[in-house]
Amino acid sequence: MIIGILIAIGLACGLIIYFVYIKVPQKVKGLEKTEEINAILPGMNCGACGRPGCFAYAQALAADPDLITKTPCTVVLQDPESLERLEKALGITLDASAMSKKALVHCNGNSETIYNYSGVETCKAAAQLLSGYRKCPYACLGLGDCVEVCPQQGAIFIDPEKNVAIVDTEKCNGCGLCVTECPLNLIELVPAGTKIAFLCNYKPLRDIPGREKCDFGCIHCRKCFKACEDEAIEWNKETALPEFNQEKCTLCLKCIEVCPQNTLADFTKVKKEAELVTA
Amino acid sequence: MTELIAIFLGMVLINNFILVRFLGLCPFFGVSKQLNSAISMGIAVTFVMSIASLATWLIYQRILIPFDIEYMYIVIFILVIATLVQIIELFIKKTNLGLYFSFGIYLPLITTNCAVLGITLINVTQDYSLTGSIVAALGGGLGFTLVLAMMSGIREKLEMANIPKSMKGLPIAFIIAALLGLAFLGFGGMI
Repeated sequence: MIIGILIAIGLACGLIIYFVYIKVPQKVKGLEKTEEINAILPGMNCGACGRPGCFAYAQALAADPDLITKTPCTVVLQDPESLERLEKALGITLDASAMSKKALVHCNGNSETIYNYSGVETCKAAAQLLSGYRKCPYACLGLGDCVEVCPQQGAIFIDPEKNVAIVDTEKCNGCGLCVTECPLNLIELVPAGTKIAFLCNYKPLRDIPGREKCDFGCIHCRKCFKACEDEAIEWNKETALPEFNQEKCTLCLKCIEVCPQNTLADFTKVKKEAELVTA
Repeated sequence: MTELIAIFLGMVLINNFILVRFLGLCPFFGVSKQLNSAISMGIAVTFVMSIASLATWLIYQRILIPFDIEYMYIVIFILVIATLVQIIELFIKKTNLGLYFSFGIYLPLITTNCAVLGITLINVTQDYSLTGSIVAALGGGLGFTLVLAMMSGIREKLEMANIPKSMKGLPIAFIIAALLGLAFLGFGGMI
């Protein structure tokens, strides 16, 4: 008896919603385009485009299709099929490869620990004490704030051996949430076609050479600059750091071989979380 | 008539939803950063509260009491409020797009706002009549809007104020909320 009445009330509520949905005429025009765009968008509401959610982004796109060149949806850029549908819906063509970006962590890990940190397990809290518990003030703390914020499971993860965040370039869609999350500003968005990754962020060269802070950071020896046969590496005298010309680079990997600190890495090689955990 | 006025004033000032009953605290801090959004949230809550009071009063008096299942009222009320919010959202989306976008995310959020469930439960426990419960809902909604508007006005000013870094944002807002609550206690002996 009681169950019957409860079920009846529940059914009545459902039916009322159904009838309102069916019977109330759609008086408002102009929402169709927004709905169409919204259906193409990933719907994960990551917020990387700067809008509160995918629907708000679809609304903005429907009003101004050019917006996609300024703040593109990084998830759609990774997927050729939905990108094509979005291009058709908006009536414009896009150069996806030029706009697509990947996150790159400018640290090689394993900088020496200078004190025992026993506080809250987030990089933000740890970074407030002497820029973190590592000898190098620009070293990845490896507590995983970037992992927390990443909307793609496994696109960024902590290497347990080196204690450094590593990006899975296949999964990363370049939303840039980790870039703003990292308290030490170690992560940068680079074009997806980047070939050589520079894994150090130690800047105040004239103070102390990087060698004193970390055994894996750049020591400004210019070996990579001399080794490069394609003139793809330029030496920036201001910062005393190599600058890589991705177009000229032929991926001969000579700079990586010659680097005494192993500060350079092949960015085209995809690293997987699963491999590291089992290894 | 005097009874209705007493209910209304009591809901707006003396038993204010936020500061005295501690209901609807989530939007109190979440939506009180800007005056505009605070007021539209307040209006949306008032609207849903009034309609929910009407619907739940009818269901409670006409269905639950005759069938002797008053004790199921919380479950039924939650269901009714969720349905109502869905219907209102659908209706507004189909008829008035400007209103729909100005409500934005707040309308679906009201489903989980305890002030709405609170007013329906208060109506039951206080044994209000139909007009009484609608007046109570209007008063409660007005009190909610009033406090939200006051809070957002203060917080807009606080953005400009020179306060210690550790107190910026929520900490100072909590202190302001406590002071507002103390001020509203002053209405306590009115009726």
